[in-house]
Amino acid sequence: MFLSAAVRSAVSQTARQVRNLHRSAARAGAGGIFVHRDTPDNNADTPFEFTEESKKRIEAIISMYPVGHKQAATLPVLDVAQRQHGWLPVSAMNKAWCFSNVAEVLEIAPMRVYEVATFYTMYLRKPVGKYFIQICTTTPCMLCNSDSILETIQKKLGIKGGETTADKMFTLLEVECLGACVNAPMVQINDNYYEDLTPKDMEDIIDELKAGRVPPPGPRNGRFSCEPAGGLTSLTEPPTGPGFGVRADL
Amino acid sequence: MASSAATRAAASTAKVVKPILSRDLDEAKRRVRELYRAWYREVPNTVSLFQLDITTRQGRDKVKEMFDKNKHVTDPRVIDMLVIKGKMELQETINVWKQKTHVMRYFHETEEPRPTDFLSKFYRGHDP
Amino acid sequence: MLRLPTVGRALAGAAKSSLAASSTVRTPVRAASNMVEVFVDGKPVEVEPGTTVLQACEKAGIQIPRFCYHERLSVAGNCRMCLVEIEKAPKPVAACAMPVMKGWNILTNSEKTRKAREGVMEFLLANHPLDCPICDQGGECDLQDQSMQFGSDRSRFSEGKRAVEDKNIGPLIKTIMTRCIQCTRCVRFASEIAGVEDLGTTGRGNNLQIGTYVEKMFMSELSGNVIDVCPVGALTSKPYAFTARPWETRKTESIDVLDAVGSNILVSTRGGEVMRVMPRLNEDVNEEWISDKTRFAYDGLKRQRLTVPMVKDDSGQLTVTTWEDALTRVAGALQSVQGSEVAAIAGGMADAEALVSLKDLLNRLNSESLCTEELFPMSGAGSDLRSNYLLNSRIAGIEESDLLLLVGTNPRYEAPLFNARIRKSWLHNELRVAMVGHNVDLSYTYDHLGEETAVLKELANGTHPFCQVLSAAKRPVVVVGSSALQRDDGAGILSAVSAIAQNARTSSGVEEGWKVLNVLHRVASQVAALDLGYKAGVDAIRNNPPKVLFLLGADAGCITRADLPKDSLIIYQGHHGDAGAPMADIILPSAAYTEKNATYVNTEGRSQHTRVAVTPPGMAREDWKIIRAVSELAGVALPYDSVEEVRSRLAEVSPNLVRYDDVEEANYFKQANELAQAVNQDLLAAPLVPPQLTAKDFYMTDSISRASQTMAKCVKAVTEGAAAVDEPSVC
Repeated sequence: MFLSAAVRSAVSQTARQVRNLHRSAARAGAGGIFVHRDTPDNNADTPFEFTEESKKRIEAIISMYPVGHKQAATLPVLDVAQRQHGWLPVSAMNKAWCFSNVAEVLEIAPMRVYEVATFYTMYLRKPVGKYFIQICTTTPCMLCNSDSILETIQKKLGIKGGETTADKMFTLLEVECLGACVNAPMVQINDNYYEDLTPKDMEDIIDELKAGRVPPPGPRNGRFSCEPAGGLTSLTEPPTGPGFGVRADL
Repeated sequence: MASSAATRAAASTAKVVKPILSRDLDEAKRRVRELYRAWYREVPNTVSLFQLDITTRQGRDKVKEMFDKNKHVTDPRVIDMLVIKGKMELQETINVWKQKTHVMRYFHETEEPRPTDFLSKFYRGHDP
Repeated sequence: MLRLPTVGRALAGAAKSSLAASSTVRTPVRAASNMVEVFVDGKPVEVEPGTTVLQACEKAGIQIPRFCYHERLSVAGNCRMCLVEIEKAPKPVAACAMPVMKGWNILTNSEKTRKAREGVMEFLLANHPLDCPICDQGGECDLQDQSMQFGSDRSRFSEGKRAVEDKNIGPLIKTIMTRCIQCTRCVRFASEIAGVEDLGTTGRGNNLQIGTYVEKMFMSELSGNVIDVCPVGALTSKPYAFTARPWETRKTESIDVLDAVGSNILVSTRGGEVMRVMPRLNEDVNEEWISDKTRFAYDGLKRQRLTVPMVKDDSGQLTVTTWEDALTRVAGALQSVQGSEVAAIAGGMADAEALVSLKDLLNRLNSESLCTEELFPMSGAGSDLRSNYLLNSRIAGIEESDLLLLVGTNPRYEAPLFNARIRKSWLHNELRVAMVGHNVDLSYTYDHLGEETAVLKELANGTHPFCQVLSAAKRPVVVVGSSALQRDDGAGILSAVSAIAQNARTSSGVEEGWKVLNVLHRVASQVAALDLGYKAGVDAIRNNPPKVLFLLGADAGCITRADLPKDSLIIYQGHHGDAGAPMADIILPSAAYTEKNATYVNTEGRSQHTRVAVTPPGMAREDWKIIRAVSELAGVALPYDSVEEVRSRLAEVSPNLVRYDDVEEANYFKQANELAQAVNQDLLAAPLVPPQLTAKDFYMTDSISRASQTMAKCVKAVTEGAAAVDEPSVC
């Protein structure tokens, strides 16, 4: 009786540890904690200014939303800020709020901007490297050996999940499904998907990026897109013309 | 129905009430005297029994005072009632069903008169 | 097997519907009244269309458990505690967010409902710490109560609990965010009622938390209400932390006197000490909110108190004495001079009983110089017509108005609850607000017409462009702040405002009962004092300095020693050693508002009374009793010995003062306006700037709040940031 209790508690302990390990990595990746703490590179005075180009874009974005629903522009405006700066310091959020409010369109409080920015994991509230590598390790990718890809990246860059290289070039993050299971394993680097990877492909991609070139996104095993890897299994004959299968008397 | 009406009429005309103990005033007075005597004899015992800080004389004076307090009463029924109460008190004293404070309560030694006018109430405290 | 009951229910339903169909006579009647009939546990209830299930149940007398739903806030529907079963619905619905449909049978105590509640409760408790013994909400916690009533008796949760770091949102509100159940009531309160959108939810899913994201103080004059709104112990009162339990305190219903709104409060006391102040529901005054000053200034009641009578000795030092001595000296002084050489000034927290007895005393000594500290223009109608100095539209009346013109006031800090009412109307009733005066943040937008007095003149003679808007208004309201009337040109301002109000009333064509002209007072005693015939302002005393001056809690410092002759005697009667006491020769300690049964009239003219929550400290006595005692020693004994007798005297002078919780309406606006127009005072060029502009001016305005450490901390936090007053947390 006692023994079984002890075993049970031991099991639950290990289970808990594993769970926590996993979660802590994911949380660090999503931008860590959900409160802001001033750091030297992320505070209200972090230099951030919208470029003329961004301003034009924001105006165009805001004009798309009907009167009374301008606050819906928060998401794309924040996206503009993030694309411009690489990530989203709190000063950029303030600026996004200021800029939109000066134009008297959003009419929301700064807190509402923070709410949005913390809700979505694609807003990066911590500095990331120039190349933000997100590797999917969810079940389909894991079954296609995403672990080897992860290991390759870690070895090659000398960083673990959630870390940035010293030269601020690469940030690695383990994430959940990115919706490219058919091309597993895959990574997302900034906006590009690199799919059907082998450890060799991953090394090539990183080498290219290090050399300052952006390798073409897409599958790496010769597939065009997400067609079956062993060739088509249906729709193999040429398409039939009009009138196929239609009653002759029509 | 009719009989009850008759009694009511009778009651209203001649006020005959049922006596408690005494048939008339004289009998009531006799009972008072008996009670007084009993108290008078009991006072020395009480003083020693309860170890009261009073003399027998003071005790007897107090008994007299308590009886005098009701000397205006003339209704034999009321007198009877008072006598009964006095007997109860006496019994409680004799049997030491009382305590010292209960006996001394007749002497009101510790009680201060409460202020009645506004100013002394004001000086005395918050909520006079 | 399982379906059988369903079939049975369906059959029962069919039977019911056939029954309903047979009673054809009643149906059209119901349609005409536009009411929807629903059933709560089979009991029929008629409700308005659009009513939620929860409200329908409330109408039927059944309370649905809830956390996130609050009747004064928007519906969030995120706690799921109010799930109820609707007959024939596939799954339980959230009662707070679901509008009823005709013929629904709401089952509030069915097996499914109970199971849903128990399940939700289990989820809520999964991440809730079990620290009730050290939680300040313990004993008045919705989560505690409802888990006792609806929860399971055991937990199946064996994983680790979530922990959330605490936030520092100022010196008033203590946050223990691990206890938070994310009902978002505080977020909705901040954005809807307070109008300060500092609180929000950050993160998502299990990591969702309430906070300000950036380190920031929750800067609102109504911030304390989130403590009441919070159903758990996540937001509690910092000053009250670990001091008392709700079941060991005695609660006394009372009235707040720190502003002129007269908020209804509940004073929680234990062992002769005020532990905290909470709001009490009064739909006409403060709804269920109170301002931070009302809620947190109570620690000022324990500091700087006058507890013993004092007299100045030969060396000029105040020394402790007995009541007999102090009163004899006062009486002697009053007897030794002519009636005309005695004067009295009433302060901002004097109650009506004290005011009437002081007036009776001085009148018996043949003196008529009784003044209030707060000025009010006495030319024109002055205080002769009651309508001239009341908030005639009433606080709740703002909700029916469509245009509000504020003149020289900052209601946000002068009367926070009135401002909350304006904001409510601005938010829900499309109230348009305009302002002549300093441009301040009122928590809602308004048309700022300028702060120059010239604007008033233009508005009065119809040349200002805003006059068009004013004349188009259906139910206009004009509110002038009492601070604007303190100026030298107060009478001119009142006359201009009166003209604006009269013009607006004529052009709007509103019915006779609608009041346009309003005065917003700042101190609690003013209306009662004017009702009782006090003269507003101390000019008379300055012009004609008395030999004996009686200060009844006068702490605004409008009269100093320098204004009086050298040999004059000053008697100060009050509860705090503030501005008035140091210059006095004789000090008579009196009771503060939590210590006496006293009548106060708020700015609307609503008479309300406080109750004794604690006894006055030391030898302090109720104000009217001191005056009554003085009168007896001075040989002019006042004819009342009890508070009831004083109140019957009040009723003789001004019957409205004892008609509690009733607003005595005032009229004769037209006559008042005519009289006001007779005043020919030029307006000064100085801009209309109320004295309370920002939050730091709000916290310390009277002797009680000036003595309060909590209020001092608030001022510091406002000026230097919340971190400046951060104290190491015990828990």
